[in-house]
Amino acid sequence: MMMDKYRRPMLMLALAGLALVLVVVGAVTLFGAPAVASVQTGAQAPAFSIGDANGQTRTLEEFRGRTVVLEWTNHGCPYVRKHYDSGNMQALQREATADGIVWLQVISSAPGEQGHLDGQGALARVRTDNAAPTATLLDPTGVMGRAYGARNTPHMFIVSADGRVVYQGAIDDRPSARPASLEGAHNYVRAALADIEAGRAVQVAETTPYGCSVKYAD
Amino acid sequence: MRMAVLRVLWAVLVWLALAAPLAAQPVRTERVEAELHSSRAAVAPGERFTIVLRQNIREHWHTYWRNPGDSGEPTDLTWRAPQGWEVGPIQWPTPEAIPFAMLVNYGYSNEVLFPIEVTAPANARTGQSVTLTADAYWLVCSDVCVPEDAVLTLTLPVAAQGRDDQTWGPRIAAAVADLPRPQPGVEARITAGAPALLSVALPNAGDIRNARFFPFDRDAMEAAAAQRPRIGASGVSFSLTPGVSDNLGEAPLEGVVVYESREGAGWARRGVEIAAQPGEPIAGVSDRPAPFSGDYPLAALEQAAGGVEYARGASLDAASFFVAIALAFLGGLILNIMPCVLPVLSVKALSLAGGAEAGQAPRHGALYFAGVMATFLMLAMALIALRSAGEAVGWGFQLQASWVTAALALLFFAIGLNLLGVFNIGGGVQSAGGGLTARGGDAGAFFTGALAVVAATPCTAPFMATAIGVAITQSALTTLLIFAALALGFALPLTVLHFAPGLQRLIPKPGLWMERAKNVLAFPMFGAAIWLVWVLAEQTGPTGVLALLSIAAALAFALWVGRWGRAWLVAGLVVFVLTAAFSWRPLLGIESATLTSEPWSPERVAELRGEGRPVFVNFTAAWCVTCKVNEAAAFTPRVAQAFERANVAYLEADWTNRDDTIAAALAEHGRAGVPLYLYYSSQSEPVILPQVLNEALILETVRGEAP
Repeated sequence: MMMDKYRRPMLMLALAGLALVLVVVGAVTLFGAPAVASVQTGAQAPAFSIGDANGQTRTLEEFRGRTVVLEWTNHGCPYVRKHYDSGNMQALQREATADGIVWLQVISSAPGEQGHLDGQGALARVRTDNAAPTATLLDPTGVMGRAYGARNTPHMFIVSADGRVVYQGAIDDRPSARPASLEGAHNYVRAALADIEAGRAVQVAETTPYGCSVKYAD
Repeated sequence: MRMAVLRVLWAVLVWLALAAPLAAQPVRTERVEAELHSSRAAVAPGERFTIVLRQNIREHWHTYWRNPGDSGEPTDLTWRAPQGWEVGPIQWPTPEAIPFAMLVNYGYSNEVLFPIEVTAPANARTGQSVTLTADAYWLVCSDVCVPEDAVLTLTLPVAAQGRDDQTWGPRIAAAVADLPRPQPGVEARITAGAPALLSVALPNAGDIRNARFFPFDRDAMEAAAAQRPRIGASGVSFSLTPGVSDNLGEAPLEGVVVYESREGAGWARRGVEIAAQPGEPIAGVSDRPAPFSGDYPLAALEQAAGGVEYARGASLDAASFFVAIALAFLGGLILNIMPCVLPVLSVKALSLAGGAEAGQAPRHGALYFAGVMATFLMLAMALIALRSAGEAVGWGFQLQASWVTAALALLFFAIGLNLLGVFNIGGGVQSAGGGLTARGGDAGAFFTGALAVVAATPCTAPFMATAIGVAITQSALTTLLIFAALALGFALPLTVLHFAPGLQRLIPKPGLWMERAKNVLAFPMFGAAIWLVWVLAEQTGPTGVLALLSIAAALAFALWVGRWGRAWLVAGLVVFVLTAAFSWRPLLGIESATLTSEPWSPERVAELRGEGRPVFVNFTAAWCVTCKVNEAAAFTPRVAQAFERANVAYLEADWTNRDDTIAAALAEHGRAGVPLYLYYSSQSEPVILPQVLNEALILETVRGEAP
């Protein structure tokens, strides 16, 4: 008498069928939904091995022992522009890298989408913006972005020296593209890096990111 | 003469300059046309009235709601108004959910009116005009986002007597009337959990579709998560995925419930503002999935989450349509070799062995094709009918009804027996084509097609799920066309075989090998039947399996003895019908679903009686046939209702495994075994109900307790 009316015996089967279909249809996922993994704050950060703008392969593993900041970016996005045209992002990059922190820009825009750059383009963009990242990672397939669940530009992640995600979310508490909104903003990334520097647990470890959507490949 | 012309020109220019501020000039940015309008053509001092910001947004672009969702930013107005004029905040119309890649944003498309309340100062000077100026800023996005700004002005005459604007008065009144507002009697609760459950008491929930909850607070919940809305007699409920705040169910949750309700012949979008208090869910709000229409932008998201095949809700462009058709055709082809179909078709194919049916083959091929096509189209129509009745359906939806699962299991079992040669239909001897479909007959060919489709329903071939997933969210015509493509693919191989004597000759001459092949093919059918029994076990539990296997045994008996002659066949059928009549009930799966039990313990009984609740205890065991028969016969939905009305607690003491406490309790009531039914009313001594139970008896017993 304790039957659960809502149990869906077909669910597993349907899911299995769906998985099969998705595998078979493969690259032609005309109707397929892109799967997004979100990372739990405090959990191990997804490993990656990906080319940077100089053509070098970069891995999370090579930075073990150092704090890593990941910044999803798209130079055409007005929210990103707010932080670069005001010099806000570059200042934070310089502060961080001066403290020995690794700063990786990640471009997950697919070819043809806003913000997509090849290696040369990405290097030129860094020069134009007078930016100071350790490296710019090129993720045109969106594999890395999806593994981290990067939704917006800018979307910020901080990976601790032991490889855990200790902050993810917005860069600050002003979800606006208006340059005026920078005045008096509280920068979550700066605060989190200060917490790490001081050996404290990160006070605000997760916020809702804001910005443009990441322009993933369909 | 020239002077006169100049004077006229000058006058026109002056008039234009004066008139211009009165007629609001729309500001056109590249993507948005924006302007302010007033409901009043003239305003009296001290009057409170409504103006609107009108945005006309370019196709495929959006501006945002107060909470923009995963990305974006709400429109913002900074007012410059003369001394004493008060301009209120933007009032937000009912938002739309706008999916983009893996995000969901909340906003507006096409034309939108944002009402704003303005209060004129009591000392406003009549006979003059007032100009309200807004620095407007908005973010407008399609696949990319662009921030835009504009300076908007509205100039109004102040007069002793205010008067309505003929054009904008009614439009603004309608926009205000459509604003989402709290409604009296619409209560809401938020219950913690992952996902958390938001239950909303909505009077017309039975008549709504495309329901979704939009929170005011961006951190409260994941904007892009499916909400799996469900509806019931008293309202609607949503499963919400906690956001960064992670406090769903602990703090009040405010927002807007958006849905379409049936109004007259069409559907109207409505929004109700709610403030859900933490607490237990409201009852009667989640009896069944809330329906979605084919053009609902989040249909795909919700259906993927609901276990129904994935589909994109937006209407198809030509390319996607042909891809869906192609996938359906391919899926149909592959369906031929799925284990539940192959045996049925093999038998038909074997009947053509060595060109045996050569003369009639083409006609039978055409009839087989017609059978397949007709059955698929009937399925499609059933699907369309169910969909328009608001059921969430997909391929395999038939199997969600336990009696269909049971019937298919019986069918597969019977086909298996037929392949083993246990019985033949049509009185034929052991002949190659003999079987459920009379050999050689025209009707036989048609029904082979129908049977093959029915047998195929529990199977899903690759590509098919995608095509059907698309089909179920599209218009009826598209659904029919996709199913027709599926039918075409499915029917093609065997139809071609009928029309190609060359191919038929490739099949070796009939012989013993054919009989053996048939016998071997019986076993995939039994396999399919076993799988269906497993599905049924999940749906109805052991009682359903017991019922189905009893009926299967009776069916086998009838088929077996039927070979000995007509009298035996009649006797067998009587046995079959009687067995089915006595055991079909659990196959509907309703009895077991309605009565919810909790485990029995003497402490629990004492506790419940302490609360003054009547208690019904069922001492039972899985191996106790009497118990199961009683439960199937007596614990009906009516009994469950009666229990609910009289607030009777239903406890189950399960003696399937050894349990000393239960044994002691049985002994206390003079029993050595189960079943035992105890009813504790307000009197001190429990009533012992008879060992053979029926519905009327329980209802009578409980009625004494009615409040």
